[in-house]
Amino acid sequence: MKRTVLALAAATALAVSGCAANANSNSNSSAKEDAGDTLVAAYSEGGKTLDPAEANDVTSDTFVVAAYDQLVTYARTEDGGKPKAKTDQIVPMLAESWKASANNTSYTFKLRADAKFQDGAPVTADAVVKSFDHIKASSSASFLYKMAGIAKVTKVDEQNVKIDLTAPNHLFLQILPMYSFSIIDMDKVAQNGGAKWLATNTAGSGPYKITKWDPSTEAAMARNDSYWGDKPKLGQVNVKFIAEASNRVQLLKKGEVGLALEVPPKDVQSLKAADGVMIDSRAGNKILFFAMNNKIKPFDDPRVRQAVSYAIPYDKLLNDVMKGQASPMKSSVASSTPGFSDAGYTYTHDLDKARALLAQAGLPQGFSFDFTLGSGFDDWNDDAVLIQAELAKIGVKMNIKKMARPQFLEALETKKVQAYITRWTSFVNDPGYHLGLLLTSQGSSNYANFSDPVVDKAWQQAATEPDLAKRNKLYGAAQQEINVKAPWAYLYEYNIVVAHRAGLDGYTSYPDGIVRFFQLSVTK
Amino acid sequence: MNLVLRRVAAMLPALIGVVVCIFVLTRVLPGDPARTLAGDQADPSVVAKIRTDMGLDRPLHIQLVRYFSDLLHGNLGFAWHTGHSVASDFASRLPATVELALVALVIALLAGVPLGVISATRRDRPVDHAGRVFSLLGASMPLFWLGLMVIVVFYNKLGWAPAPLGRVAEGINPPTGITGLYLVDSLLTGDVVAFRSALSHIIWPALCLATGSTAIIARMTRSAMLEVIGQDYVRTAVSKGLKPSVVTLKHALRNAAPVIVTISGLQFGQLMGGAVITETVFTWPGIGSYVVQSVLATDYAPVQAFTLVAAVVYLAANLVVDLVNARLDPRIADA
Repeated sequence: MKRTVLALAAATALAVSGCAANANSNSNSSAKEDAGDTLVAAYSEGGKTLDPAEANDVTSDTFVVAAYDQLVTYARTEDGGKPKAKTDQIVPMLAESWKASANNTSYTFKLRADAKFQDGAPVTADAVVKSFDHIKASSSASFLYKMAGIAKVTKVDEQNVKIDLTAPNHLFLQILPMYSFSIIDMDKVAQNGGAKWLATNTAGSGPYKITKWDPSTEAAMARNDSYWGDKPKLGQVNVKFIAEASNRVQLLKKGEVGLALEVPPKDVQSLKAADGVMIDSRAGNKILFFAMNNKIKPFDDPRVRQAVSYAIPYDKLLNDVMKGQASPMKSSVASSTPGFSDAGYTYTHDLDKARALLAQAGLPQGFSFDFTLGSGFDDWNDDAVLIQAELAKIGVKMNIKKMARPQFLEALETKKVQAYITRWTSFVNDPGYHLGLLLTSQGSSNYANFSDPVVDKAWQQAATEPDLAKRNKLYGAAQQEINVKAPWAYLYEYNIVVAHRAGLDGYTSYPDGIVRFFQLSVTK
Repeated sequence: MNLVLRRVAAMLPALIGVVVCIFVLTRVLPGDPARTLAGDQADPSVVAKIRTDMGLDRPLHIQLVRYFSDLLHGNLGFAWHTGHSVASDFASRLPATVELALVALVIALLAGVPLGVISATRRDRPVDHAGRVFSLLGASMPLFWLGLMVIVVFYNKLGWAPAPLGRVAEGINPPTGITGLYLVDSLLTGDVVAFRSALSHIIWPALCLATGSTAIIARMTRSAMLEVIGQDYVRTAVSKGLKPSVVTLKHALRNAAPVIVTISGLQFGQLMGGAVITETVFTWPGIGSYVVQSVLATDYAPVQAFTLVAAVVYLAANLVVDLVNARLDPRIADA
């Protein structure tokens, strides 16, 4: 024992006298970035994977979008002087142009000649074909591959790739700009032992190199100086993962971080008043709805569902729960989705109408039902309690059953939950994708068992309709039918809230809620 | 040495029991890990594919056998929600938690033992009453609230504490890794810069975490001392004319020591558990916050591994306590 202590002391003495190199002995030699070149961002969690075809959470998606390019991307537009995405207009990225066949069942993409992966290899037709194979074989993005209707991907020559579809499909071009459809240097992946390597490494052609990623603490990205496109203005982005929202807010106020996500609505007011902090709060396409199981009594009667829709205290939810960081929802499709229609939507907070509808449905005394509340989101809790109080006024007893989120997701899948609230963000900002999953009879996420021939037929016709105006007319008809039949009571549309220091320019709001760091610059 | 071997052998059945229990527990908990991982937009076929990848489609007893054979090969499994093996996640996070718990324990001992001794020697005087009030407050203080208050007051308002962001300040390199404990590593490599930064970062969460333990150690020390002070040999020592300080520290405290050592060992286990909350509040990159995330994501492997590690830590702490007590009191060694 004594001997170890002596040895330790000796080692320490040796080390202190300068025999051992330590991590900070030349801490000033690392090039200090000037302030305008570095951004520190605060996220709530660290993500799960860097594999583009497996990412499905905002943090993971953010790194994928930074490190990879896609064949095509979304256009940008201005909205009241602020940049935002225009998701129904697709513009070139790695593909400089493309041609569709006369019957819209095959597309030929011509690749840019100057695009290179981050370690110098050119982006070739082979890489595109192999990337699509990777997506097809993945767990997470394979269903998007199916939804895009891709039959096969073939190399025409070094610069051209042909993609055949099973049928004309208007979702195809809208799915391609997604992070899932990133073009990967699959040869490099093969050299490193296969697709598993992509979970923690990147092989892209994108504007940033991911230099560090530890999901429990922080990640760092550095500008890709040989990027083929517009050079990113920020040389370095450090992302800190901070679970506690109040810490994110305090760090932003003190200027330790330049940008923070997931700021709770109650903190938005105090941040607005803080010096040098800007809040960008704009509608995304994330919605929240109160779903009633259309196969379980009494919700099999549309009049009962309409009555519930008239009993929701809409203003209280928007103002008291969300503190104004949300907007009214007037269709099953978000208002920022191209093709949105609120035809047939008549619901306001009107308890007399609600009582009358219940009486018509033969339930003048009201009824009692089970409501399942999933954990994980503060606002759901508050919403449920407020709705419960309103329903009590019309004689309806809502029994709230709380459940942990994993259990909640499992319960929904049985399609036997009587009533619940849940949020939803459609990855593809299109009514076809949205309604197809949620409200058609075959929809895999139609946990409320809504089944309506009018909606199903309109959706099927629209799926293969190449003309945009005709398609939107069909989707409009479907939305009108849904609004009248009220399988859900619509609660609100969430705003995407990004808080940042003054002097940060270029932030563009995308419906997927992902910050594209290569668009940002710091002027102060 | 014999004692050590005997004790380690006795631990094995306990460990196997713990492993089987936690395995069964995680499997009967509601919630499908594959669905949680896939998200709510994924097609059922995708969920089924993930379930196969995870090996959850096999019968329970097969899964258990595979888990044991993996354990014997030193494989703790794969953490689906971080995309790393559990072993690598633990390697990067466990030292942070151990360091936090150790620093908190040192603080609790340095504050708790003197407090207990003073309370015992000045029984029913104002000092003793003050100690009792402090202990009551300390033991009943909600850690979560205390942590948030410390951040608001000492970081936000006064600016004494560094930003609650990990183990060293932005722009300072962590010390060269030897033990993974930043304070120890920076001393070993003579890295003054890293040592100061690491100390300023660890001291606040450690103080919060130590509050409850300080209170408990103070109370236990007090009662142990009171029991000893009433004994004949202490009276003899006093009547022999020894200085009160010598009597208290040499005779009384020496005999009260086994109790203090035992409670410290138990407290170390408690501190590892308390770290869960402290780590979340202070964004401390340790095992506690990681396990909370794993539970929320119904990720079995990290939860099982954590239980295993916790059991090992607890048993090891008990062993250390027994060994130290055997040195302190020869009668225990023979028992």
